[in-house]
Formats: sequence, C-alpha cells, structure tokens
Amino acid sequence: MKITQNKEGSKLNIALEGRLDTTTAPELENELKTALDGVDDLVFDLKELAYISSAGLRVLLSAQKIMNKQGKMVITGANEEIMEIFDVTGFVDILTIE
Amino acid sequence: MKKIKMLSLRTKCIGAIILMAATLSLILGFMSISVFQRNIDAEYMDKVTDLAETVSVAVDMGDTMRLKEAVQSIYDGIDNKVRSDMMGTPEYDAYIKNFEGIEKTRDFYSLQRELREILTVNEVQSVYIIYIDPVEKTCVYLVDASDEACPPGNADTLYEVNYRVLEDPEIGFPAYITNTPEYGWLVTAAAPIHDNNGEVIAYSLVDISMNHIMDVQMTFRRNLAVIMLTITVLISIIYIIAITKAVIKPINTLSDAALDYFGDEKANGNKNDQEAASGTGRPLRFSNISINTGDEIENLADAMKKMERDINDYIDNLTKVTAEKERIGAELNVATQIQADMLPRIFPPFPDRNEFDIYATMDPAKEVGGDFYDFFLIDEDHMGLVMADVSGKGVPAALFMVIAKTLIKNRALMNGSPSEVLAYANDQLCEGNEAELFVTVWFAIFEISTGKGMAANAGHEHPVIKRKDGDFELVVYRHSPAVATMEGIKFKEHEFELHPGDTLFVYTDGVAEATNASNELFGTERMLEALNKDKDAPAEQLLKNVKEAIDDFVGEAPQFDDITMLGFKYFGKS
Repeated sequence: MKITQNKEGSKLNIALEGRLDTTTAPELENELKTALDGVDDLVFDLKELAYISSAGLRVLLSAQKIMNKQGKMVITGANEEIMEIFDVTGFVDILTIE
Repeated sequence: MKKIKMLSLRTKCIGAIILMAATLSLILGFMSISVFQRNIDAEYMDKVTDLAETVSVAVDMGDTMRLKEAVQSIYDGIDNKVRSDMMGTPEYDAYIKNFEGIEKTRDFYSLQRELREILTVNEVQSVYIIYIDPVEKTCVYLVDASDEACPPGNADTLYEVNYRVLEDPEIGFPAYITNTPEYGWLVTAAAPIHDNNGEVIAYSLVDISMNHIMDVQMTFRRNLAVIMLTITVLISIIYIIAITKAVIKPINTLSDAALDYFGDEKANGNKNDQEAASGTGRPLRFSNISINTGDEIENLADAMKKMERDINDYIDNLTKVTAEKERIGAELNVATQIQADMLPRIFPPFPDRNEFDIYATMDPAKEVGGDFYDFFLIDEDHMGLVMADVSGKGVPAALFMVIAKTLIKNRALMNGSPSEVLAYANDQLCEGNEAELFVTVWFAIFEISTGKGMAANAGHEHPVIKRKDGDFELVVYRHSPAVATMEGIKFKEHEFELHPGDTLFVYTDGVAEATNASNELFGTERMLEALNKDKDAPAEQLLKNVKEAIDDFVGEAPQFDDITMLGFKYFGKS
C-alpha cells in the first residue's frame, strides 16, 4: 500500500495505491490525523487502488466526517470493483464520488 | 564443574607462588655461594702466592744453587727417568735410589730445616723447592719439607696450565686449585728463586690445604639451603593465606551467591513467587555479602549487587506484567464466552416449529470477534433474522457488536419495519461514536405463514437464495450505508418471498474474503459452488460444506476475519 500526498494551499490530494485493508488502513488513518489540518478541499485519487475492505471504508468515513465540518471531500478514479464495493456497502450515498 | 574450577584457581595460585619463591631462593642461594667461594678462593690464592714469594726470597740462594747442581748432574746422567706417577713401583724405587746421597748433604739438610720452620709457622700443607726440566716438562724435586715428603730427584709432570713458565720463567706458577683423592683440595703457587745474576735457578712451591674451608663451605651451603627452603615455605604459606583471603574466598562467596540465587528460587519457587507478587521483593543474595578488598573484586561484588537489584526489579516488573497479561487473557476468555453465549447456539432453536430449519455459526479470527448473527420470534408468525459485521476486530469491535445486537433485537421486538429498526440503531450508535466504528447489517423480518419477507441491507454482503428446483444464487440489489456511519440515514427496504423448499443463506465478508497463502480470495463463486455441491442438504450440512471448502482453500494461511454464516430452509405450512 502506497500513500502519496500532494498539497496545494488548502487543497489536498491523496493518491492510494494497492490494497486498503485491515493491515494497511491504520497507516492511512495515522497520516490523516495530521494531514487534514487546515484542508478545505480533499480529493482521494483511487485510480491505483485494487481493493478496499470494511476497515478501509471506515477510514474514508472518518475523513468524510472531518471534511463535513471543514470543507468538502471528493473520491475520484475508483475502478469498477471499488465502485461495486461502494455500491454494495451503500457508501455511494455518503461519499461524493466523481 | 564448580568444584573443579575452584580447585584449579587455588592450585594455579599455589603453583605460581611456590615456583616464584623457589626460583628466588635458588637464585639467591647460587649467588651467595658463588660470591662466597670466589672470595675464599681469591684470599687463599693471594695467601699462597705471597707465601711462595716469601719462601723464594727467604731460602739460602747458595745452598739452593749447590743442591740444584748436585741433583741436576745425577738427573741428567740417568737415561731411564721414571716420573712420580709410577711411585710405588720397583722402577721408581730404582730410579730414586740414584739420588740417595743427596739427603745426606749439608745443603739439603739446611734447606730442609729452613722450609720446615716456614711450614710450621704458617701452618701450610707443604713447602718445597723444585727446578723445571724444560725438555722432559717435569718438575724435579730438590727438597721437600712436607710430612710425607717426596725425595729429591722425584719428577712430577708439569701441568699444562703451567706451560707458560717454559716461555717466561719469571711467571712461576700463578696460584691454582686442585682436588685430588690423595691430598683433597689444595691451592698451589710457585715463585722463582734467582741467582746473583738474576737468572731463575729454581722455584719455591707452597701447597695450602683447603679441605677445612671446603667443609665450612659445604656447611654454609647446607645451612643456606635449609634457610631458603624454610623461607620459601613460609612465604608460600603467607601468600596462599593472603590470596585465599583476598581473591579465592571472595570469588567463591560470589560464586555461591550466584548459584544460590536460582537454586533457592527453584526450591521455594512458590513462596518467592508470592513474595514477589505481593511486592515484598525476592531475597537478596549478593547484598548481604561483605567484601572489602578495596580492589577489582570489591568492584565486581558491587556490580553483582547492583545487577541483583536490577534483576529483582526486572523480575518483579515482569511478574506483574505477566500476571496482568494472564488476567487480561483470562478476562478475554470470559469475554469470548459471554459473546458466544449472546448468540443463539442451541439448535434446533424452536423445536415445536416445523415450518423451517435454521442453523448458524460464527468462527472468530481473534478471541472476540465483531461478527454476529441473530434470529428471534417477534410474535407467533414473525421472525427476525440478523447477519452483521462490525468494522475492525478484537475487543472494541466486540463491545460495539454487543450494543448493536442488543439495540436491533430490542427495537425489533417493539415492532416496526426493518428500516425503522436500523434507523433507530443507527441513531443510537452514532451518538458519541468516537471510535468511528460502524456495522454492516442484513436484517429481515419474515412472515412464517406466507413466506413473505422484508429486508434492509445496510452495506452488508449480498444474500444468497436457492429456489426449490434451482441453484444457490446471489440476490444483488443496491444497499444502504452501514449502520453507525452517519446520523439520520434512511435505510431502503427490499421485499422478498420464500416458497416451500426455498433456502436462504447469509454470511459475512469473512467467507468471501478468506485468503489463502498466495493472497487469493475465496470469493462468492467458490462459496456458491460449495453450497450447490449438496444443495438440498439440511442447513447445518450446507454451512459445514462451505466451511470445509474455505478450510481447503485457505490451507495453512492464518484466518484474518471472523467467518459467520446463517442458513434458513423454508418448508411452509405442513
């Protein structure tokens, strides 16, 4: 799992690569603890993300809850399988997916 | 092992000390003896040289010259000269007979008297006068004043050490020491006797016996040896006592303490464990040792004392931590038991109902899991079915699961649609959900008399249904978000209907996402395959088939997620 952060002013772009599951989700959660300070536009780039488990979904949900208070959060580039997971889990109703 | 090693250290020390003392004694002894001997020898040599010179000047020169001429004329006239080493033989006696007349001459008599006086006064072994025959390399006797005097004409072989006198007659015989069986230790010197022209005509010889001084020397050596031996033994004993006290004893004390440390631990292990657990600490073996050698050994002892305290602290700490771990482990076991007891596990659960067959299992990945299933009768004709999975694992997930399960069942028993029940649980769980856990739930309310059901799927896996004459198939439709994700969510409802002979199967992602060693997922395809293998089997058997298929697939790889399944076969009204 590879996490790439790209910050421009108050806009933060986070690209995820690999599998976001029980073992790798805490890594992302730790990074987000500090990364989201002062961010009002958060973009998750999931082009290279192969799989997301419920633990990964939980981290995205936490981020969404924080961003609801300080700005907006968008998910981009989710492939078909990830989209299906979002669909099935009902996350399409909570997350903004482009 | 220990005994041998201690013995070895002591032996080494004693060996080194004895060797050192003995070496020192020997060196001192040899030095004393050699200095002593050299001084004595030098003194005797000086004395004998002085005496020989005194004699050479004191004797009457005219008498000496005449006697020499008389002896020499006889000597030179003898063809068959027999030397003194033949003494006692007839040839020697015959040879000596030639000089018979000499002893009766006045010169001989007067010289002999002079020499006897000197001999008596100076207490020497012998005083005599000879001349040297350079051709035969012999010393020919003129007169001898010894008690056992050699007769005139007696010819001794000139010793090689004295050959230099042949080249330089003035040298005489520098003092030399001999040891013969006949006379014992003798020191001898010769001084030249000159005529009026300064020519050397003869030599005066003096022998001084050293037998007495040699005896003294032997006694001295013996005494010295005894003294040295005594000193060696004394020094060795003192050193051994000192080393035993300063080195071996402290080391043995430390060694015994170290052996005791765990020896006693084992012997009264239980008692000590209790002491340690109650915080009174374990007995101090090194701290009671008093070693005041003021050197490295004392440093070692201090270091050992500190080590002991550190080890004791560490052990106490470790004991506490271990006890804590054991306590947590025991509590986790209880928690697992409580969690397992929360799930209905007695099958068949409703023995008097024959309209359906239900079976469910949960295999947690860790001690306590986040998965749960539930089924309960809301009234005579309605049944609630729950399959849920809390995000995360372990104790937090288990606690969340307990709340979620309780909320859902309690709310369902108060009547209401699945959507209303989940909305209520969602709002309750969202309150103060700091850990931000959520739970995916499939919840259905099923009407037993008609086979009609209403389900809400909050982000959970697709349920599986097998129609009477068909195969198990996924029922795919769009789900609502998981419970506890966000307050105020509305949950969509999905109607379904089971006909007699139909089977419903719900599960958690632990089934579909079981992973083998090469990181492949078990997947829903393999799950359906396992279900369809013996599709008309009772619910219990269906679940077993799936579990076996998962176990075969996963092999030795560890189980990452809880595996939970529920099978429901509908028979309708009989």
